[in-house]
Amino acid sequence: MARRYDSRTTIFSPEGRLYQIEYAMEAISHAGTVLGVLAKDGIVLAAEKKVTGKLLDLSGAKEGGYGGSGEKIFLLNSNVVAGVAGITADANSLVNYAREAAQRHLYMYNEDIPVEMLAQRLCDLKQGYTQYGGLRPFGVSLLYAGYDPHYNFQLYHSDPSGNYSGWKATCIGANSGTAQSLLKQEYKEEISIEDAISLVLRVMSKTMDSTTLGSEKLEFATLTLDAEQRPKAKIYRPAEIDALLRKHDLAKKDEDAEMKS
Amino acid sequence: METAFGITGKGYVLIASDTTAVHSIVKVKTDVDKIKELSPFLLMATSGEPGDTVQFAEYIERNIRLYHIRNNFPLRPPSAASWIRRSLADSLRSRKPYSVNLLLGGYDVSTYKPHLYWMDYLGTLAEVPFAAHGYGSYFTLSLLDKYHDPEATVEEGLATLKRCIDEVSKRLVVSPDRFKVKIVDKDGVREIEV
Amino acid sequence: MNTLVQRFSTTGPAAEIRKAKEVLGEEDDVVDVMGFGNLASGVPKFSIPGVPDPSAFLKMHTDDFADPSCRIKIKHGTTTLAFRFKGGVIVAVDSRATAGSYIASGTVKKVIEINPYLLGTMAGGAADCQYWETYLGIQCRLHELRNRERISVAAASKYLSNLVYSYKGMGLSMGTMICGWDKTGPAVYYVDSDGTRLKGDVFSVGSGSTFAYGVLDQGYHWDLSDEEAQELGRRSIYAAGHRDAFSGNTINLYHVKEDGWKFIGNYDVSKMHYDGPDGRGGYGYDLRVEGKSSANPPSSA
Repeated sequence: MARRYDSRTTIFSPEGRLYQIEYAMEAISHAGTVLGVLAKDGIVLAAEKKVTGKLLDLSGAKEGGYGGSGEKIFLLNSNVVAGVAGITADANSLVNYAREAAQRHLYMYNEDIPVEMLAQRLCDLKQGYTQYGGLRPFGVSLLYAGYDPHYNFQLYHSDPSGNYSGWKATCIGANSGTAQSLLKQEYKEEISIEDAISLVLRVMSKTMDSTTLGSEKLEFATLTLDAEQRPKAKIYRPAEIDALLRKHDLAKKDEDAEMKS
Repeated sequence: METAFGITGKGYVLIASDTTAVHSIVKVKTDVDKIKELSPFLLMATSGEPGDTVQFAEYIERNIRLYHIRNNFPLRPPSAASWIRRSLADSLRSRKPYSVNLLLGGYDVSTYKPHLYWMDYLGTLAEVPFAAHGYGSYFTLSLLDKYHDPEATVEEGLATLKRCIDEVSKRLVVSPDRFKVKIVDKDGVREIEV
Repeated sequence: MNTLVQRFSTTGPAAEIRKAKEVLGEEDDVVDVMGFGNLASGVPKFSIPGVPDPSAFLKMHTDDFADPSCRIKIKHGTTTLAFRFKGGVIVAVDSRATAGSYIASGTVKKVIEINPYLLGTMAGGAADCQYWETYLGIQCRLHELRNRERISVAAASKYLSNLVYSYKGMGLSMGTMICGWDKTGPAVYYVDSDGTRLKGDVFSVGSGSTFAYGVLDQGYHWDLSDEEAQELGRRSIYAAGHRDAFSGNTINLYHVKEDGWKFIGNYDVSKMHYDGPDGRGGYGYDLRVEGKSSANPPSSA
């Protein structure tokens, strides 16, 4: 029976559900965790990498590019960093679309695209794929960490249906429920970026499956303002992540014991 | 002769424009409002080809309003200027270009800065402390080089503007007899009697 | 050029197809007799000569000033006026149509009765004004049927100005006043083929407009009585008819009030010159100053 309704995105089931979208969300709940926390003077983004292994060539992330391995965290525009959870191939396509949308805005208005508008652009696209015949929805959720002069620092989440919402702290992907409740307990209003970084690292170390936290399993980024009050995105390189973890005493140890003490 | 000026001062922009509609040798109307209030903090004075001026101004006004409705915040003056310039530049390369010259005055509520832009029908855009279009510019630009003060109060700014109007009335053949003056500052846009 | 010839030729394949269509009762794609064959589409369509530059093409064949031997002479030269006052709107026009230096007609109706509440005046191309103002009349009626209320003068004039603006640069020539009475009271809008649209109290359009303004501006004020206003309109058109070679013959006078427009009368300019309306004395200068003298001899006594 269900077969008749889950083979096409455009068809409602008799209960009024769109199965393909629910399946897409299900795919995301198995993906690597992505976590974002909004601070008063910046935003922190962290993501769990799933593609690992000794034979993986990570030299690109170590030196070239703008930081990050290109699996979870991307720079969409000079004022927006995004973390993705879900099907990486779909995510690449969305990231490309977002970058073009941001450039189009720059072309027309000579300013960085406002963060919410960028999220809207992507959601319009995602929504379209839930309606047009013969198309599969994007199996991707994103966290957008951005800055614009209208609402300062902002954190948004968008899902495969094309819904989006703004958050102070949120999490997507595997174990997002656990992380979400941890964040709810520990988040404080007017938190500083330094405290936000340590909060993110603490929650990540608790929710990730592996017992060790290291640059091979983690991507990390911050968005702050520079001396001229312009947004500055920093996606950490592997060495910087390891240094950060050492600084917070979370590197390659039994961190559960650490947290309890 | 069509003439428009704009000057910036401490926290405001003043824009003045003549109010006559001319057809060959006849003044058809003497109280035309050529300064459009595009949004709560944006003013635009237009001059150029009859018909084009109003049509283009209304096109801009409605799109800026649409942006405001869609995004819950208005375009800031620098972005509005860029977008208007782009519209004019795209129009220039179309089958029937708009022949419109503009002055754009705005107040940026997020940085507390007034902005004045000079734009012509070819798509030239420049941010300036003071500006003029039409034959009036030949008299007033030198005047403003001497008398313009970026920190002038509204009263002082109006006095400088008055100098411009008086100079044009004195020296320009068939000078416009009435000017409309509008201001944009932290309290928004409004008309000022001179 | 060829496409244009083909359309109107009576021989050749295109003509045969057209005849066949007539027999079958099919719509012709050119223009039907009334010229409003594409009402349903909502967007007005108008056949444009199939040449790269339609306005240059039109100018080549119609510019009698540059080339007096051109084949099509568009009728120019007019005086029209309209003004708003306490008692409504006065619309007055002359009735002369000239083609070059030749008076083509002395009995032209230059006031177009769009509907019982709206009048349009005609200056520039007679055909352009007549066609588009009749078209405007249709749109105003449709507005009435669709919205259960009469169109405002502002909306009607805006419709016309947007329409002519869409043909800007293609050779339309119109200078018109759209006059009427709506919820806001009496209203006059000036609309021309440049796309200009102006709201105002007093307008005059045409080659004789300066002469009309001279009388009109001096005699105008808001609190004119109906009779004074009608007289002012008539006297102003007379002035233009007298001074402007391209205006004259007769005057048509209309008065718009709350319950719609009323035709006041047709007045012969020559008769106005010598006798005036109702024989109360002519408008002519010689008659007005008869017996007066500027001589100032010293008193002999």
